[in-house]
Amino acid sequence: MGRAVAVIGTGQTRHGRRDDVSYPDLIKEAVKAAFEDAGITSQDIDAVVYGSMPSMMEGVAYNHFYFADALRVVGKPLLRTETCGSTGQSIAHTGIYWIASGMADIILVVGSEKQHEGDAQATMTTIPEAFMHADFVGGAPVAFSMQSREWMGHFNIDEDKAREAAAIISVDCHDGGLKNPYAHIRVNITKEDAMKARIITYPVRLLDVCPSSDGACAVIFASEDKAKKICKKPAWVKGTGFRGEEYFSGDSSKAVWQSAIEASKEAYKQAGITDPLKELDVAEVYNPFTYQQLMFLECLGFCPPGESPDYVVKGVFSPGGKLFCNPSGGVLCTNPIGAAGLIRLAEAAMQVTGKAGAIQVEGAKLALSHAMGGALQFNGITILGSEL
Amino acid sequence: MAEKNEKPRTIHTVLRVPFEMALGPTWTRFFEGLREKKILGTKCKECGRILVPARPFCPRCFEPMEEWVEVAQEGTIITWSYVNYTYFGVTADMIPIVPTRIKLDGVDGGWGGRIGGFDIKDFDLVNKKVKVGARVKAVWSGERHGHLRDIEYWEIIE
Amino acid sequence: MQKVGIVEVAMTPGTESSLSLMEFTYKPVKEVLDKAGLRRDQVGTYVLASTDIMHSGMSCANAFDWDAAGAFMKPASREEGDGITAFIYGCMRIMSGRHDTALVVGLIKGSENAENDTITSCFADPFYSRPLGIQETTAAAMQMRLYLERYGITEEQCAKVVVKNLGNALFNPYAHIKKRVSVEDVLKSERICDPLKAMECAPKSDGVCAMLLASEEKARKLTNNPVWLKGWGSSMDTFYLGDRDLLDTQLKTAAVGAYKMAGISDPRKEIDVAEICEPYAFQELLWCEELGFCAQGQGGKLIDSGVTQIAGDLPVNPSGGVLATNPYVSRGLYRVAEAALQIRGEAGQHQLDKKVNTALACAGYGFAGQWHGVAILGN
Repeated sequence: MGRAVAVIGTGQTRHGRRDDVSYPDLIKEAVKAAFEDAGITSQDIDAVVYGSMPSMMEGVAYNHFYFADALRVVGKPLLRTETCGSTGQSIAHTGIYWIASGMADIILVVGSEKQHEGDAQATMTTIPEAFMHADFVGGAPVAFSMQSREWMGHFNIDEDKAREAAAIISVDCHDGGLKNPYAHIRVNITKEDAMKARIITYPVRLLDVCPSSDGACAVIFASEDKAKKICKKPAWVKGTGFRGEEYFSGDSSKAVWQSAIEASKEAYKQAGITDPLKELDVAEVYNPFTYQQLMFLECLGFCPPGESPDYVVKGVFSPGGKLFCNPSGGVLCTNPIGAAGLIRLAEAAMQVTGKAGAIQVEGAKLALSHAMGGALQFNGITILGSEL
Repeated sequence: MAEKNEKPRTIHTVLRVPFEMALGPTWTRFFEGLREKKILGTKCKECGRILVPARPFCPRCFEPMEEWVEVAQEGTIITWSYVNYTYFGVTADMIPIVPTRIKLDGVDGGWGGRIGGFDIKDFDLVNKKVKVGARVKAVWSGERHGHLRDIEYWEIIE
Repeated sequence: MQKVGIVEVAMTPGTESSLSLMEFTYKPVKEVLDKAGLRRDQVGTYVLASTDIMHSGMSCANAFDWDAAGAFMKPASREEGDGITAFIYGCMRIMSGRHDTALVVGLIKGSENAENDTITSCFADPFYSRPLGIQETTAAAMQMRLYLERYGITEEQCAKVVVKNLGNALFNPYAHIKKRVSVEDVLKSERICDPLKAMECAPKSDGVCAMLLASEEKARKLTNNPVWLKGWGSSMDTFYLGDRDLLDTQLKTAAVGAYKMAGISDPRKEIDVAEICEPYAFQELLWCEELGFCAQGQGGKLIDSGVTQIAGDLPVNPSGGVLATNPYVSRGLYRVAEAALQIRGEAGQHQLDKKVNTALACAGYGFAGQWHGVAILGN
């Protein structure tokens, strides 16, 4: 990568049902927070990158036009990047490439969603075309339930053991959500609650599923020179990776998810990481469903394929474990989709700069953030570190 | 700015946007196959993989896929789920649904469909009968329109 | 900053195609790869441009488009917006030093989408602009009215743009609308949104444009005839039309940025040809002013002078422009491709009868041109 790039500020809205504000006001809330965190103003930025889910989500197409003022982009360049669920990572990558190219020094990246203004699952069913996927019903929960069962079948994973591991993830995340001031879902649950919750799309039960959230996230990236001048403690971009598979989800195995595997390998190579479980201090893994987190623990190389339930049951990824995953409560507690992948990155930046407050992992120096999207197709990774 | 004690309002809007999507020659032929109770795939001359539905080109090798193959109507379940919730467009009378992905014999990759042929309202029965690795066969609809639902459902064969 | 070269381009005609969107996209992508002698997996990175609301009814367009773009298991991304943004993002990916080749593709089948005005009315916020019936055509009509009244531009001068561009399109094999028209024909066509006449509004076209970009070293290996990116600028305006002076646009800001990067001080003299985005005829005149091809309010005189004709000093839209071919999402990438072909001397029947060293390509979209991007290319 050309020039080094760092995160110099992050901002999030309070996520949840936000019909107390209009959509532009929601964006403004995150943008303002990011500027305050970075200690700069909109005059200091060279350009803006924005992304969200498709227009059907909120019923306004090309909504970057509508948000021009809230994004503080009037009179400046804007790129809009969108890759479905992985949008949050892709918009960060656009900002990173933009600065690395030398075409800009400071860039504001914003992702958002206001899911309560539309019907998320109805939108999801429009991702596939209408004629070949006539049987695609149930939106995202079905796609991901099917994937988790394919994974269990492929590795002969005992259904009860996977069930227990998923419940542990649910409890850890909901505990994190309670401590995270921005989180949407704030409930105290037990493993028993998670295991016995109502079936949504088998094997996924209610407490395995993320909510529909309204929220926005803003992250300010800067070149090495600017970051060192402006920011006492920047979070340095150590590596990025992105891969996508075929459109027809039957074309590739979803049990051994190659886009996640290869995207993380690309990022590890850049970051010089050979043993992620040992070297990473914390990970923000995109987990709209608990079972997907189990799979990602394997695909991202944190444990051998087919063994994530054992590792989870042993507490490797729980608070105090070798690699705490999703101290923020993850997507499971907060899911404004277009922002969710960027929230992972913001949380990772907060962790490596010691700004994570009640959910701080002590001494965290190297953090992974991740998002996935499409018809079980796309995975994006950004690794951040406290040292250049 | 709104008064603190007054809840800001929302407005209700509905957007309708029509589309008309071309199937093109590859998928037109594929759907004509369904009308004749045939499942058609195409074979890649580079990697040799057979993909269903038929494809104009191989997504990996990026060469045209011009060799047509009629594939088996039986296969094994790769995965399945049980849809038990409603949302805009999916009403209570439409659920439950048991979607599945099937590896048809001789085909590389999976085919999407629905399991049927018994009382799927009984989840325990579904969970007992429908297994990853179980064998299934296509059950065709009496009247076919060159549509994916010409295969009415996939039946578990013991 | 790393130099970036355009290695190859390919595009489809703008007429309605009976191919599926997947087949339609595949063809020019495959053509570009074959021309460059590269396999799909040998390209470093891919950037797509497509738009969910103009994507044949499918959301998260990149999901469906990934296969035909050739992006399977490659580092890649997708711009939701004009194809020119995929072009510049592809350039940035190369400038970062991380990839030495990038394939960019902008795609749309307009024939499968709703009317342009139905689509663009979805850009409006649901509270204020949408109930007022604001979409791109109504916004453009208000902009045109202001243009006519403030500067005394005549409807004849606006109509001349249609005559010129459709005339040029007769020689472009990729053009959608091919017919010889007169100023009178244009003026007599239905006043669909006064003062805009039907023939002054762009059609709704199909169109995929694919382009292979490379680093300087790699470009010189892949082609004897690379076209270099010399400058880039873009800028966004505020949303509500009432907050803007519709004749003082962000195209000016975008152009200043691009000229600065390219080291251009007198665009009228230094630019040999321009491919600009004029979905409404009068906009070509207004944009020419904003690009510094003439003084403010002089757009009418510029077309009267013949300078922008295909044989003029500074031909504008020798391809026929967007008035002839309007694949909404990829039209900006078509401008870049056409500009590159002019520099290479490969534009075919509409090749200019002079040496083209420097070309300008620009794109704009949104109400009355809310966003603009300007690229300068050189040999």
